Amino acid sequence: MIGYIVRRLLQLLPVLLLASIGIWSMIYAVPGGPVATIVGENATPEQIRDVTERLGLDRPVLVQYWSWLTRAIAGDLGSSLHAREPVLYLIMQRVPATLQLGFAATLVGLLLGIPVAVASALAPGSWLDRVLSGWSALALGVPTFWLGILMILLFAVELRWLPSASAFVPFFESPWQAFRNTLMPALTLGTYVSGIFARFLRASLLSELRADYVRTARSKGLPERDVIGRHVMRNALLPFVTIVGLSMAAFIGGTVVTEAVFTYPGLGRLLIQAISSRDYPLIQGCILFILIIYVMINVLVDVLYAYIDPRIEYG
Amino acid sequence: MTGGLRRKLDVGRRVVAHAGAALSAAFLTTTIVLAFLAPWLLPIDPIAQDLAATLERPSREYWFGTDELGRDILARVIYGARTSLLTAGGAVIIAAMIGIPIGLVGGFFGGWRDAVLMRMVDVLLALPSILFAMALIAVLGRSQAAALIAVGITGVPSFARITRAQVLSLRKRDFVTAVEALGGSSTYSMFRTVLPNSWSPILVQVVILSSVAILLEAALAFLGVGIPPPTPSWGEMLRTGKSFLYEAPTYAVLPGIALTLTILSLDTLGRTLASVLEDRREIGADTIAQRGSA
Repeated sequence: MIGYIVRRLLQLLPVLLLASIGIWSMIYAVPGGPVATIVGENATPEQIRDVTERLGLDRPVLVQYWSWLTRAIAGDLGSSLHAREPVLYLIMQRVPATLQLGFAATLVGLLLGIPVAVASALAPGSWLDRVLSGWSALALGVPTFWLGILMILLFAVELRWLPSASAFVPFFESPWQAFRNTLMPALTLGTYVSGIFARFLRASLLSELRADYVRTARSKGLPERDVIGRHVMRNALLPFVTIVGLSMAAFIGGTVVTEAVFTYPGLGRLLIQAISSRDYPLIQGCILFILIIYVMINVLVDVLYAYIDPRIEYG
Repeated sequence: MTGGLRRKLDVGRRVVAHAGAALSAAFLTTTIVLAFLAPWLLPIDPIAQDLAATLERPSREYWFGTDELGRDILARVIYGARTSLLTAGGAVIIAAMIGIPIGLVGGFFGGWRDAVLMRMVDVLLALPSILFAMALIAVLGRSQAAALIAVGITGVPSFARITRAQVLSLRKRDFVTAVEALGGSSTYSMFRTVLPNSWSPILVQVVILSSVAILLEAALAFLGVGIPPPTPSWGEMLRTGKSFLYEAPTYAVLPGIALTLTILSLDTLGRTLASVLEDRREIGADTIAQRGSA
């Protein structure tokens, strides 16, 4: 098992290395080069020299990359050009908001997705199955930003129940305010993942229902509720863990669009602000941070899956 | 040649036999015709401003109201279809032109070439595609070409992986071995033997990726990093409409409907096409097995 984890992590190295080169060279690929981007067109030679030195751009390229990489590994992602604060500090300020939204959305996705999957898998081909499959297709097809706008129109503009812009309120500080502010973004994202969850779990349940042990359980007179609840569900939920984990990984950075709809102050909005203000150290920092978390969760899901399903070979 | 054509028509007929797929095909055809022939067909103008009538509610003159500059929302939605379809089409072509050769070479030669190419593909997958596209646009600057390239590049991994899987499974088949035994070059084998037999999964991928590309283009425009205004685009309209939710609640409705229906239609077509071609492939395998035993 430990060998498997180490091997999976080692496989990551080339990908992380290539990606880090890509992210690092971003600033050099910008038209006009990094210095012009930062100081603007009307800069004095002195300003240019100052910025060049501050960014270390007068050193050889490999030295620059190496010092950037070693500092990044040590947690120093540089300073934001506009906020003049350490990039990592700015990122860490936003992480709780994105995490809270990610968890809430996953919860909504599970609450909506699992019943839909079970109901349609128990009667495949029936009208109920067709209606529910249509619902899943709809949940997957409706762009989250449009669904979010419709929710604001209904709950904020028409009914005036909820605020149209969602602030971040930590759940443990004020559960009710946190609920009011997180409900719409969580429903928006949750509806989308519920479509993925439902479709995946339905397929997984259907393939389990065809297995021999189900026939055995039924023929020995076990009540259908126990057949489903005790046997089928347990086995069908195994591969399902992967999908839930992957969608949570995507939420780390993938809440960008939903955060924009509800002006929710998460990591995604930080990145958009960084891009629109051309704050390159902040852009690089955000992307590197999201990339590492995303890749690590992917590995974690693989490892977890291998752990709960011993049939998986640690290949 | 006629046989090939008849087979393609047959696939088309069987796709349209599904009610949902037929509806989707009809909707997409209408959208395409309207998007590209609107200047000749309809008396509408997406750019004409009427500053005396801004943010109007739907009326007889403006069926879906006007935007903040008094432009006809319906006209802008119809012309916005052009932006969506062209970006999707262009992006899919970019993705296929890069992804398919990567998959062919990787699957065919294996070894270090495969390892290097697949690690490159892994890097593309190491970020959610919207973030990857945003990072590319941050470097390239906001423009129509940047949006096209960004959306296209994010589609490369799926073409590469599908083609590679197809190559790996086809290589073991007798007809490919036969070509190699007869001294056919690798290029001949790749492009004349393997690729022509891989078109069905690739075709399904083209349809699915078009839907993904349209969604991604709209999302980028919604975030304010897509195709710059004044080009009418559904994502951009949703972005502006969102700032006038209280003044003009109907603003963001029509672009959203158009976007959602287009995506749903492409998804439905893709799924139906996949199931129809899946059947065909099974029949194909059977016939080959029969020929083998005979």
